[in-house]
Amino acid sequence: MTDVSMTVNGEERTASVPPETTLLTVLRENFFLTGSKLGCDVGDCGACTVLVDGIPVNACLMLAGQAEGRDIVTIEGLANQDGMHPLQQAFENLASLQCGFCGPGVIISAKALLEENPDPSVDDIRDALSGNLCRCTGYTKMIEAVQDAARIMRGESADEAA
Amino acid sequence: MDEKVKVADRGKTLEDLKQTDADLRLPSVVEPAHFPIETLAPEARQQTPAVGQRATRPDGRLHGLGQTKYIDDITFPNMLHAKIKRAGIAAALIKSIDTSEAEKMPGVMAVLTGNEIPVNSFGPSYQDQPVLAYERVFHAGDGVAAVAALTEQIAVEALDKIKVEYEPIEAVFDPMLAMQEDAPKVHPPHDNVYATKAIKKGDVEKGFAEADKIFEGRFSTQMIEHVPLEPHASIAEWDGNGRVTLWSSLGRITLGRADISRTLNMPINKIRIVGTVVGGNFGGKNEITTEPVLALLSKKTGRPVKMIYSREEEFIASTTRHPFIMDYKTGVMNDGRIVARKVRLVLDGGAYCSWSETTLGKACILSAGPYNIDNLHVEAFCTYTNKTMAGAMRGFGAPQVCFAYESHMDDIAHDLGIDPLEIRMLNAFEEGSLSPTGQVLQSVVVKESLQTAAERFGWKEFSK
Ligand code: FES
Ligand code: FES
Repeated sequence: MTDVSMTVNGEERTASVPPETTLLTVLRENFFLTGSKLGCDVGDCGACTVLVDGIPVNACLMLAGQAEGRDIVTIEGLANQDGMHPLQQAFENLASLQCGFCGPGVIISAKALLEENPDPSVDDIRDALSGNLCRCTGYTKMIEAVQDAARIMRGESADEAA
Repeated sequence: MDEKVKVADRGKTLEDLKQTDADLRLPSVVEPAHFPIETLAPEARQQTPAVGQRATRPDGRLHGLGQTKYIDDITFPNMLHAKIKRAGIAAALIKSIDTSEAEKMPGVMAVLTGNEIPVNSFGPSYQDQPVLAYERVFHAGDGVAAVAALTEQIAVEALDKIKVEYEPIEAVFDPMLAMQEDAPKVHPPHDNVYATKAIKKGDVEKGFAEADKIFEGRFSTQMIEHVPLEPHASIAEWDGNGRVTLWSSLGRITLGRADISRTLNMPINKIRIVGTVVGGNFGGKNEITTEPVLALLSKKTGRPVKMIYSREEEFIASTTRHPFIMDYKTGVMNDGRIVARKVRLVLDGGAYCSWSETTLGKACILSAGPYNIDNLHVEAFCTYTNKTMAGAMRGFGAPQVCFAYESHMDDIAHDLGIDPLEIRMLNAFEEGSLSPTGQVLQSVVVKESLQTAAERFGWKEFSK
């Protein structure tokens, strides 16, 4: 067993886990943050995407020990008492998710994109979501939702033409 | 009428009554007080012009918040984790299964093999699939033993300790070879061809004789896995009163309940299935997989048992889309009119029937395409091979035949020097056309749709 401690969604968290435990397992099983999903366990699908020091990472590929002392943001860290994150609101409004299993990973990747680039082109969005597989939607409405959220975050109204 | 009896809503309009009814309904997702939202979805029972409306999904918010509970997000105190050992050999007789080393491992709580399953067979149409293979292996993804342990990791390690002795037997992988008389039988004594269908309309030979030109082509499609983002998952809990509750990603829980009752040989009222939100189905989660195994492991241990398929198991041990081999022969007049068509479909069903019959039927009916053909003969066969079983997948055989008849159509148009759109307009169904099985078709807008689509994406400009 090794002790790991990290900041998760702004809170100091620690756990004692076997050394081979992944960041995803610690988040899901020790911290009960089940929003990040296990889709493939090999870094292909992106369902497990979380932010580590602001960078989107496949949590199934990172050992818990590697997250020691770092700042983790999961899907549960986006909404607060005042409301949902604009991305979450836009994804809901446009029904951008169907089964929803890919959703948390997609939204986290999109959040990382918007933090770096507040006015992304469709190609930028496609690039940013290229590590997130969705089997249901065909991505179109996700891209629209990211554009809507970007507009809201820039202080414009959602349905203004791009 | 007795004046004392009050007729509550007399004088109210139907609209009022509907409103009362709507007011009594609870919203499907309770709105959290701190997330005020205006929903874009129309109110229940409110008449709206649905087409062209933007709609949201009632479960969309929880999906985006990461709060939807799929099976793997559910956990119970003292829950165990199960894993299944896969055969890794396509066809074999099982000589022995030795689980003793695995049972000795610390953390292993129970091991299960096929002989412990009360009725070790299931399937939505034919019960030709063992829950856990015991005497014979039919394809490499067959489960041969299951382990329930304190952690998934221990369960995986325990699988390595299970020793299975196989006597390899001849396997068959090619559906065309499997159809031959002397092919090794996948399920002896039964023939490999387990489902057939034929459709005859008019006189196809006469049609060919009258045709100006005959075209022939063979088309084939490959096996496709559904790859739902959420792998197959279930949790079983056997309680002290001999009842079992299953939380499952199963898409057809009523059918599954009957199958589970049959395999466990216990009354259906003792089985409760909780269907959770499914993380993608696409037809692949339409039948039971590990549920009876988990139920029995839970019975053995007195603890809840969870199992999630690995991505690899998803590919080798869950159903797939049928690979098709499709032979088309079509007689046409020089102007492009189709006068006769003969179709022969061979479906590779893999090791078990699953939803093959449904797929075969639909593929047959649709195999001629949306075209008026007076003389038609379709014959179709579904055959066992020692491969991962094929089952339901979006469209039940329709996409495969569509690929074939439309590719065939393009070949014909090209050869005759006719525009591909023209040849379709010439032959396409109209209002009142007869389908190959004699159904009078209504609301037929094939031609209008083709025309509109061609205009919108600039077909003329493109084909210049
Ligand atoms: S579960 Fe991590 S990338 Fe698929
Ligand atoms: S919504 Fe189902 S995988 Fe994306």
